[in-house]
Amino acid sequence: MSIETASLTKHYVETKAIDNVSVSIGDDVQVLALIGPSGGGKSTFLRLIGGLESPTFGEVTVNGITLPVDDSALREWRKKNGFLFQSFNLFPHLTAEENVILPLAEVHQSSQEDAKNRAQEVLSRFGLAKHLGKQPGQLSGGQQQRVALARAIAHKPQWLLLDEPTSALDPEMKAEVLDLIEELQKSGQKIILSTHEMGFARRASDHVIFLSDGQKLEEGNAEELFENPKTAEVKLFLEKVMKW
Amino acid sequence: MKTFLGIFVSVVLGATFCFVFWIVVSHDYQWDAIAPYKGNFISGWWTTLLISAIALVGSILIGALLTSGQLSPWKVPRILSRSFVELIRGTPLLTQILIGYYLVAPAIGWDSRFGVGILVLSCFSGAYLSEIFRGGVESIPSSQWLSAKAIGFTDAQTYRFVVIPQAIRRVLPASAGQFANLIKDSSLLFVISVHEFTMQAREVNANTYATFEAYLPLIFGYFILTFPISLLSRSLEKRFAYEH
Ligand SMILES: Nc1ncnc2c1ncn2[C@@H]1O[C@H](COP(=O)(O)OP(=O)(O)OP(=O)(O)O)[C@@H](O)[C@H]1O
Ligand SMILES: [Mg+2]
Repeated sequence: MSIETASLTKHYVETKAIDNVSVSIGDDVQVLALIGPSGGGKSTFLRLIGGLESPTFGEVTVNGITLPVDDSALREWRKKNGFLFQSFNLFPHLTAEENVILPLAEVHQSSQEDAKNRAQEVLSRFGLAKHLGKQPGQLSGGQQQRVALARAIAHKPQWLLLDEPTSALDPEMKAEVLDLIEELQKSGQKIILSTHEMGFARRASDHVIFLSDGQKLEEGNAEELFENPKTAEVKLFLEKVMKW
Repeated sequence: MKTFLGIFVSVVLGATFCFVFWIVVSHDYQWDAIAPYKGNFISGWWTTLLISAIALVGSILIGALLTSGQLSPWKVPRILSRSFVELIRGTPLLTQILIGYYLVAPAIGWDSRFGVGILVLSCFSGAYLSEIFRGGVESIPSSQWLSAKAIGFTDAQTYRFVVIPQAIRRVLPASAGQFANLIKDSSLLFVISVHEFTMQAREVNANTYATFEAYLPLIFGYFILTFPISLLSRSLEKRFAYEH
């Protein structure tokens, strides 16, 4: 399962959110971390890889096959992945259980019964067995994010794409969610995440891409990049964020 | 200054209320005069209820149609619905009733006061409802769309499972208010001699010259219909406020 981008570029009206980024994520990479300053393009890069948006120039290639530009064809790619956003994005009118069941039943054609069983299985695994019938508004931030994570992995996605999954959470809840992500990593789940949690990026990922102003400044093995950043900017950034 | 204004307003309102109360109480009622027409009032009240109920269903259908037209990705339905809504909202209901009955209906060979009245009311109320519905749909945050897209939903699925169920909750209070308006507006159908509540009262007045006795029941008759709706609308509003 490899992902490549060639001259990937995304322009919004005034900003070049992603500017001519070419990377090659080999089969051997299980967890890829996107780091860099705010506004650097991490979220945009994730949305492009995940097929939520189409590039202005360039392309994304998965296993040698270029992602289509047509939206309904792209949907097939989206279905194979799981997404988690910073701000939970659960459906507020549905219970935790229904949030997980809905995509299984309507997108992945599971029977209601299979979908329900699967939803209960993943939610219990994430310590939410007692909260199946609660709506997002009745759950804490950490619980909501765990439900969202359950929804993202319930259909056994090829790639799990996480966009700053913990940055809206209190430290304690952060730990809850990071523990779960680490557990998923250990069970072999392929993950691409953007994060400001450098400690976690360093520990959990095997490949790191540093994005700044839409450009790839550096990439490499996690250990290497954190120990010996090649560019002054990355070095400065790491010093700054590691200080606290 | 503020207290002065408060006192002034209280005095004016109090005086007005007392004056109206005095007129109503001091009148020398001749209920005997209208007693033989009791049946007219009752049948008029039921006709108003029936017209409002049918027009209620009609206006929801027309409102939904106009909303989907306005939100359509295609230009033609967008322009057509927009123009229709603007036209209806920019002209008096009385004019629409007259034109509908004396110009449009004869042109298509339709001769039912009752039917034309209901259709015009449905269009009128439907145009206002469509603005309420559209506001509801547009109030659903873009993060919900992104989330639905990430799951692999089509636009149609997103509307069905995510947007519409949430929008309905949000538009209920304002829609209830519009239904109360619809009931009151139906009184204008007297101009094409539909035998609803107001028309019956006018006829009783014409036959008995007991103006007070003929028109006073209207106040109670309409209020009985609209007050529960007003209460319902308020309680829905409150519930909505708690949910968010
Ligand atoms: N939908 C959009 N419309 C216009 N500009 C956008 C949009 N999305 C992102 N941008 C711009 O593109 C640039 C990159 O944004 P992006 O969200 O990808 O950065 P990021 O690295 O995820 O930042 P953060 O760490 O703050 O989440 C920013 O300048 C941002 O303002
Ligand atoms: Mg971001």
